Amino acid sequence: MWGVRISRWLRQMQGWGLTLCLLWGAAASAHAGLVLAQARMTLAAKSGAVTVDLPYLWDKSHAGVSGVAEFVFEFDMPTLAPEPYGIYAAKMANGYEVWLNGKRIEKFGELQGPPREDSKLPRVIALGYALQQGRNELRILLRGDAGRQGGLSPLLVDTMPQVQEAHMDVWFWRVPARQGVVIFSALVAIMGLALWLTQLNPQAVPGLRRDRLYLYMGLAEMCWVFRVADSIIEAPPLPVAWWSVLSSLALGGWACLTTLFCMELVRWNQARWARALRVWLALLCLGGLFAATAAWVYVHPMALTIWYGLLGLTFLMFCGAFCWRSMVRLKDLGGSLFGLAMAVNVAVGLLDLYLLRIHPSVTGSSTLYFSSLLFGVAASVVVLMRFRTATTQAAHLQANLAQQVAQKEQELRQTYSRMAELAHSEARSAERTRILRDMHDGVGMHLSVALRQLQSGQAQPGEVAGLLQEGLDQLKLSIDALHLPPGDITALLANLRYRLEPRLKASGIDLQWQVEVLDTVERLDDKTMRHVLFMVYEAVSNVLQHARATELRIKAVQTTAGIRISLTDNGTGFDVQAPLRKGLLSMRERAAAIGAELSFQSEPGQTVVAILIP
Amino acid sequence: MQAWQVFVVEDNPEMQDFFAGCIARAPELGLAGCAGTVADANAWLEAHACNANVLLVDLGLPDGSGLDVIRMAIARNPACEVLVISMFGDEDNVLASIEAGALGYIHKDATPDDIAESILAMRRGESPISPMIARRLLANYRLAPEPPAEPSEPPEITAAAMLSPKEHEVLSLIARGFSYGEIARIQALSVHTVQSHIKKIYSKLAVHSKNEAVFEATRMGLLAGKN
Repeated sequence: MWGVRISRWLRQMQGWGLTLCLLWGAAASAHAGLVLAQARMTLAAKSGAVTVDLPYLWDKSHAGVSGVAEFVFEFDMPTLAPEPYGIYAAKMANGYEVWLNGKRIEKFGELQGPPREDSKLPRVIALGYALQQGRNELRILLRGDAGRQGGLSPLLVDTMPQVQEAHMDVWFWRVPARQGVVIFSALVAIMGLALWLTQLNPQAVPGLRRDRLYLYMGLAEMCWVFRVADSIIEAPPLPVAWWSVLSSLALGGWACLTTLFCMELVRWNQARWARALRVWLALLCLGGLFAATAAWVYVHPMALTIWYGLLGLTFLMFCGAFCWRSMVRLKDLGGSLFGLAMAVNVAVGLLDLYLLRIHPSVTGSSTLYFSSLLFGVAASVVVLMRFRTATTQAAHLQANLAQQVAQKEQELRQTYSRMAELAHSEARSAERTRILRDMHDGVGMHLSVALRQLQSGQAQPGEVAGLLQEGLDQLKLSIDALHLPPGDITALLANLRYRLEPRLKASGIDLQWQVEVLDTVERLDDKTMRHVLFMVYEAVSNVLQHARATELRIKAVQTTAGIRISLTDNGTGFDVQAPLRKGLLSMRERAAAIGAELSFQSEPGQTVVAILIP
Repeated sequence: MQAWQVFVVEDNPEMQDFFAGCIARAPELGLAGCAGTVADANAWLEAHACNANVLLVDLGLPDGSGLDVIRMAIARNPACEVLVISMFGDEDNVLASIEAGALGYIHKDATPDDIAESILAMRRGESPISPMIARRLLANYRLAPEPPAEPSEPPEITAAAMLSPKEHEVLSLIARGFSYGEIARIQALSVHTVQSHIKKIYSKLAVHSKNEAVFEATRMGLLAGKN
């Protein structure tokens, strides 16, 4: 693809070269057209005509001076084709009037006064049928502005198609090709600026979130767009003086911004000397402003030429360092490509400097316009590479992230299960402690007492059976306590009755059961429920063992103060002031442990034990 | 009246002798046989299931669960009534037994007279139930008038899983600790009616658990069919 384009480009260069040969070649060409390469010239300021050879370059003959010159050509047209004729000139600048046989054919710009436009392009002047068979006199009044590449190239006088053909070859490279460069550069500039505006790095400090690389790229290409467009605009919207200063600045801006871009690209932006280089670049731009203005004010291009030289030198040095850094040190594809583009452009730029300013020729045309395309291409490659890297990084990051999340989840699960296990084992250990205590105080005690009685040999079978029965009852209650629904006092009492039913029946006590539907007490956990269960058990057990009662009323009601459980019996009663027996003492302890109120009222025939659970 | 034949499955030889003794002393009861393991019990049921009117079975057997013996006995002889021997009458074991088809349970520490009496009471149509079990049943099974939560559920299962208002009332009172006699007074029923309610609840639960198994199987079958 590129190979094909380059070879086509070379072919066209070749064709262009041939045309130039043709124009500059001897008049004894096989071509029917007439080449006028010699004229009688009269300067407006002086008198007396001199014979000059074309091309005539104004700055070469009148450095630092502007003026008007008159070129007179006298030539014979032995035969005339029955077609309109025309004149082709590769250069006719900076303003002119064309007269043929005493009649004005064409005018471009003004011959006097400040310049408003510049004839930068090759010209075709239609003569129509104004040529005469035989002797003709062509008079060209040419305005030459100092330092603005004025001058006159050899003229080709031929039929219009021939003239057009000669013109086309040069014109193509002067206009449409440069328009192409403008469009391409504008696209690259828009891409750069759009990337600068849209690509934000949220992790960077505020003010540095946007990537300056893209800004430099966009602005550099914008400058270049201006510079190239200027070469095809003949009537600028500003006075020519200011316009040409802007054009010089655009070139300087392009070069400096490209340098800044390169510094970002190879991460030189943090280097110690980077600041110095930036200052130098700023000075260079400022110097360009002065040089261009000076070239205009003092009507001498030398300052501008020196400035171009400085620019070229700066880039020659920078280019060397940059190529070394990008190609040898970093081995970065985008950077290397850019280094290559820069090397080509610096070479072309210096060549241009020589051909256009130091040793100008009439048809000299800047090759830099086309070699600069390499920058655009390299910049696009850089952007593409960056996006590829970013995409790859993002993909890696995502994969990493997924992996990390999975790992964290796993860790979390492990921690959770460890904690659950810990909590479980704690709960188990607390449960074990409680059960052991119940076993120790309840079943264990009853079993050991029964055993001692049996061992003593004085055991009363009824007493031993009673002890064992009580032990078994307590064991059953302990097991029930494991299943008691937390806070459900109704279930607790119901279950206790169910367990003690055989003993109550055996004791012959008439039980009155007055248990209401009670609210669930949220704050009672299984530990507290156990305390309540054994408190009530203890109270019933006391009645069964000591009270010798015939009636027992168990009542549970919901009051505003909480749940009130009362056990009323008609037994012998006990002295509530006397030191408490072990059973009653443990009831007190349990009540204190769960914040319940325990009260005893006793007289013979009526004993009330009340438990209030708030 | 012909004596009821009781088949005892109990691994502890002393307890087995004790139960055998209790049964032998009761004139209305006869000892059909004894077994100490699930294997022996199943082998005996294989041959003599029809001879046993009552199965008295311990749940913790050396080679498996007494629940398997219950299922085997009911499969062989649906008329056989099952009593479970339970040390503590704890909810989980009792509920599982009821769902397997048991009609009641007796405690190991009951007096010899109580044991014979429990078997005879069951024969009369009584079933004991503890407040804790009643509470669990109330939590697990819905009251009949409530609309089924899941319309797609097969209706016969829903019906079995529900309690009639009367049954619900009786269970609630049991859960509050009232005796059958007190419930009969409160509800203005005979004690016999209260007991028949309880027995009905038992059989509903056994049917429900069976239906649930069938339903599960059907559902899985349907799923497999869809796949």
